[in-house]
Amino acid sequence: MADFVMEARNVYKTYSIKKIKKGDAACNVPVKHQVEAVKNVSLQIRKGDIKLIFGPSGSGKSTFLRCMAMLDIPDKGEIYLGDECLTAPGADLNKARARIGFVFQHIYLFRHLTALGNVELALRQVLKLPKEEARKRALDALNEVKVSDCINKYPAQMSGGQAQRVGIARAIARNPDIILLDEPTSALDPELTGEVIDTLRDLAKEGTTMLIVSHEMPFAREVAEEMIFYDEGKVVETGPPSLFFNAPNTDRAKQFMTRIINRTTRE
Amino acid sequence: MLEFLFNPMHQGWIVQGLFLTVEITLFGVLLGLGLGTLLAIGDIYGKKPVKAAIAVYVEIFRGSPLFVQLFLAVYTVPTILNLQIDHAILAFLVFGLNSAGYQKGYVKGAMETILDDQMQAGLSTGMSKIQTLRYVILPQAYRIVIPSWTNEFCSLTKSTATLGYLGFMDLVGAGLAIKGSNYEILPVWIVIGAIYFVWITGFAKIMDVIYEKKRIPGVELAMQS
Amino acid sequence: MDVWQQFIILLEGVPLTLSISIFSFLIGIVVGLPLAFIRVYEKEISFVVDAYEKIFRGVPEIVLLLLFFFGLRPFFPFPFGNAFFVACFVLGLRSAANQSQIYRGAIRGVGDEQMIAGMSVGFSKWRAIWYIMIPQVFNFSTSGLGSEYALLIKDSAYVYVIGLAEVMTRSLQLAKSGPGDYVTPFVLGAAIYIALTFPFAFWLDKWGNKRKKKIGL
Ligand SMILES: Nc1ncnc2c1ncn2[C@@H]1O[C@H](COP(=O)(O)OP(=O)(O)OP(=O)(O)O)[C@@H](O)[C@H]1O
Ligand SMILES: [Mg+2]
Repeated sequence: MADFVMEARNVYKTYSIKKIKKGDAACNVPVKHQVEAVKNVSLQIRKGDIKLIFGPSGSGKSTFLRCMAMLDIPDKGEIYLGDECLTAPGADLNKARARIGFVFQHIYLFRHLTALGNVELALRQVLKLPKEEARKRALDALNEVKVSDCINKYPAQMSGGQAQRVGIARAIARNPDIILLDEPTSALDPELTGEVIDTLRDLAKEGTTMLIVSHEMPFAREVAEEMIFYDEGKVVETGPPSLFFNAPNTDRAKQFMTRIINRTTRE
Repeated sequence: MLEFLFNPMHQGWIVQGLFLTVEITLFGVLLGLGLGTLLAIGDIYGKKPVKAAIAVYVEIFRGSPLFVQLFLAVYTVPTILNLQIDHAILAFLVFGLNSAGYQKGYVKGAMETILDDQMQAGLSTGMSKIQTLRYVILPQAYRIVIPSWTNEFCSLTKSTATLGYLGFMDLVGAGLAIKGSNYEILPVWIVIGAIYFVWITGFAKIMDVIYEKKRIPGVELAMQS
Repeated sequence: MDVWQQFIILLEGVPLTLSISIFSFLIGIVVGLPLAFIRVYEKEISFVVDAYEKIFRGVPEIVLLLLFFFGLRPFFPFPFGNAFFVACFVLGLRSAANQSQIYRGAIRGVGDEQMIAGMSVGFSKWRAIWYIMIPQVFNFSTSGLGSEYALLIKDSAYVYVIGLAEVMTRSLQLAKSGPGDYVTPFVLGAAIYIALTFPFAFWLDKWGNKRKKKIGL
């Protein structure tokens, strides 16, 4: 048995984008532009851990989370799920992803399926459950996130908060080893944010292993065992919430915490 | 003036002609959809040589008249292959291959509008790329594509009118045969034209209804054609 | 007959193919533009345009060619006795139906504000259409018009049924007169059509993008 549910070792990811340099019209030269979104990031998660990543916009948090689920393939470094090395050639990524729940920043429900269909699909096609059992488990999951009233609604007919909770139900229905959540509330207004945060709090109480990108500081303080401050593709500082809420060691984290706490109290 | 309509033999030709027209169009348009989907997937996920080959395929089938493609197939393929192939099968293949050249574009366009986020969402639940294409991407793409597909059906049906000139007994073939019997020719072509019109317009109407029914709530028509 | 000779014979059909396509295209513009504006701005009579478009969407070009040429020639030798006229007439009106749809999309692209702005400076509806809308509509329809033109080139092959000696007819004649070589004339014919359709659509699309950039779109 491995010590960690999931582990990232020295992960790197760089995007190169072709940018058109805007200048005088005569010389529109395409310039290769590199974005180092993840630079040498390592992370270990034990069973039952709740870890929280936060940091400025564009610093590469989503990219790192996508690398963990191998939705983006890292350039360098290793990702482990239990004993299995996902970055090794020939790893069965689909099987691995079936054991990882993922909740997207921009929700990404299947638009042609109802809430129930969204949750059921992978249970049927990936776990190959018989129809009745898949339905039962899907309904349980939807019940757990308290959206039983919209099981027959299509994504476009739900509120943002309902849709995101269906997204969470889709992720937990498979009983994954870990759930990765990428700013699950950033696309929602404060009231809807509350609904989703409540759902996450329930999951935390049940001992679900989670890696969450979030800027909901009160929530972080309440549930996170460890907070990870992330900037410019790197882990800048790691520690328990008390560290960040009292006196972070680095200036960069101090600045960021001040800004974010001011913002929250003003709301 | 419309005596030919009351001649049982001519009635028979017209019914037979309509049957062939309908049959060959439906088969052709479905073969085109299947093949067009494969070409679209190949064009999105394939390596460079695959993409180049698909581009050449599309240019050939979309760049030259179906009339020429039909003659080429019917007159030359049996001699080249030294095989007796039923002309109807050859014609059906040409319509399917030709239609695939157009439908590839529609399917690809529709897939591209949904691919980014929906593929990630599918993979994140543990489904494979192929499963995600099958259960998430294509069901959405096909719904979006219905209006373009209806147009494709209309223009393909119209181009089957060439079959009469290759000796087939389609609707135009029936008209040509009736013409041989010394009737006034204007009413014959008016009736034939009207039959085409009713079949095409009726089918298009049905497809419009299906489109409205199958439409995903909240998802607007992505490609106004 | 060697390949080269056959090729020359087919090339001699190109002017006819091109002139049918170009005339039809022009008829399509002249008829299609008013149809599009009627459809958008004269709601009470737009059903006429709708019916017009449906007829040309539902009746094969070949049947229309046969109908107007062989069907109407006995009654109206002028103008329907002239195969070239019938070809441009039928394909032109068919193209007008397609172009009407293309322009309708373009009118939406230009936007209602332009029309309102035109009327606000004192133009009548149809004068605003003429001075403000039409010049801009073409910027938004280049890619559609490119494929419409390619379609006309290909559809001009249908005039084989009324006996005009353009590229398609010549391929068929060569195939039937030759010593059983069907492949060469049709392959050459197909190649000529591809060469005729390919560059034009490409060029028109490029021109459209340039124009759009110029006016800041
Ligand atoms: N698919 C991609 N192709 C190219 N560049 C990308 C891609 N995805 C992300 N990037 C770039 O990588 C950097 C990190 O992006 P990422 O989305 O991971 O940031 P983030 O920390 O999640 O930001 P936010 O808080 O706004 O969600 C950004 O500069 C972004 O432009
Ligand atoms: Mg992000």
